Amino acid sequence: MEGLCCGPGYASPSEAIRAPSEKLLYTIAIYTGTGIQKPDYLATIDVDPKSESYSKVIHRMEMPGIGDELHHMGWNACSSCHDDKNMSRRYLLVPGVRSNNIYVVDTATNPKAPRIHKIIQGTEIKTKTNLSGPHTVHCLGSEIIISFLGDAKGEAPGGYLHLNKDFEILGRWENSMGDIPFSYDFWYQPRHNVMVSSEWAAPNTFMPGFDLEEVGHLKYGRRLHIWDFEKKRPIQTMYLGEDGLIPLEVKFLHNPNSSHGFCGAALSANVIHFWKTKNGSWEWEKIIDIDNEPHPDWPIPIPGVMSALLVSMDDKYLYINNWLHGDMRQYNITDPHNPILTGQVWMGGLLGRAPIVNGIKVAGGPQMYQLSLDGKRMYVTTSLFSTWDNQFYPEIRTKGGVMLMIDCDVENGGMKINKDFVVNFGNEPNGPSRCHESRYPGGDCTSDIWL
Amino acid sequence: MKKITIANRNNAIYEVRGNKPLLSELRSLGLDLPYGCQYGGCITCAAKLIKGKVDQKSQVALNNRQINNGYVILCVARAKSDCTFDIGVESHDKLYRNPFIDPLAQHELKANIATVREIKDD
Repeated sequence: MEGLCCGPGYASPSEAIRAPSEKLLYTIAIYTGTGIQKPDYLATIDVDPKSESYSKVIHRMEMPGIGDELHHMGWNACSSCHDDKNMSRRYLLVPGVRSNNIYVVDTATNPKAPRIHKIIQGTEIKTKTNLSGPHTVHCLGSEIIISFLGDAKGEAPGGYLHLNKDFEILGRWENSMGDIPFSYDFWYQPRHNVMVSSEWAAPNTFMPGFDLEEVGHLKYGRRLHIWDFEKKRPIQTMYLGEDGLIPLEVKFLHNPNSSHGFCGAALSANVIHFWKTKNGSWEWEKIIDIDNEPHPDWPIPIPGVMSALLVSMDDKYLYINNWLHGDMRQYNITDPHNPILTGQVWMGGLLGRAPIVNGIKVAGGPQMYQLSLDGKRMYVTTSLFSTWDNQFYPEIRTKGGVMLMIDCDVENGGMKINKDFVVNFGNEPNGPSRCHESRYPGGDCTSDIWL
Repeated sequence: MKKITIANRNNAIYEVRGNKPLLSELRSLGLDLPYGCQYGGCITCAAKLIKGKVDQKSQVALNNRQINNGYVILCVARAKSDCTFDIGVESHDKLYRNPFIDPLAQHELKANIATVREIKDD
């Protein structure tokens, strides 16, 4: 019953596509690891082209202390409780990967100037659940699930924190981690009673930085895990091997009836497509393989480092990044077995294809991105993780991160960097900060799941 | 008491007991230091030891090359003698390296995997 309900989100993906355009973004900006002794903060960015402060940071909500390394975030509610009039998409849950704190941010009282509503202390999470290293935040109905990459001492495999709608700790969400060695991202498709989770590494492995040798020592992931979502336990492992080194972001198609999903294997720079077969088991295949690129100063060719991916709300396009190469790509996935490259843009990166974009010398490469519900505006940031930034793009310390916008052609395919939009986090009042994930108050292409 | 000299802060001197991690001792004396996890796992608080001895056996973040270059994880390290440090990101010149251009030798890996390799080779 489209449009009749009054809960958060939208009745369907097609209704979401028709929602009003976003006017504000919330974007994480960090000082952790930069040498500037200031707290990380949530930046409010004006993205209303009619506004005088368009393309500017209009508010900065500082965390209470330093050293959180804010990274990813998620809403208290989404379209999964669209029929619950007592719920609203009001609170943004913002975890600190290093501090373990989770900040519950009220974005509704004053959307331009969000404020802290509640802090779930990292020490309390460790004591009650033996978890550290929070990453992905999802809600299901009025409950909230957050993946953690480690135990309280930073060792894998971590697990899932379960919160109620008042942000009280209920305990661990999962009944079993099975033989899962690592955790990272997850996504679920309730109509198939399935959750898929991916693997980065233990916090003690990835937090200090990336040692390539540790991949060979099996300290980084190379599997996807299929879960029985209701029973809250893993039921099938897909071993990806060399095709799936460091499988990070996992996304299903938005159509709640579909079982097709995708994962970006960062180090292999491959897209893995997975789906449910007629007999109920899950299959996978590699559908995109980004070649490593030669570099005059490198003894081996540079891998793309595909650190993120997302699917447009109409399920027509898959977007990927190559953080070290410096490009963003758009593929038409109408046939998910046979993606067709339809767009590509360059910003920063180590290959030197686009060192300056919209007048800014870009430190880093395209890394996190968020897409508008109508699929036309993609906001891209350049920092990955403080220690990894410091290894591959040391100049980001003085230049800071950048946010750019890509105009995406949803009819014919194609991507173009918008010339009128750029947010230079190198010019922030307290010094250069690094921008990471973004969320839109009305929802975006990575926030909503339909029951 | 141990005397801690911060070379890159005009040789400022702090007196610590050595019974608590240097991060908490130095911060309680007013020195503004970076930190993150506070259990020795994330490297944010790394400082470079120029002179002296510390006990940092509970750290799990550093590989052996970083340890050989003098890096100390202040959130778990305790002073065992008078020490001189460089602190903050200015001291991180050898902490971060591009792992593709400058790979580690087997003995330079983190202690737990360097050890595993030796046992295997035997």
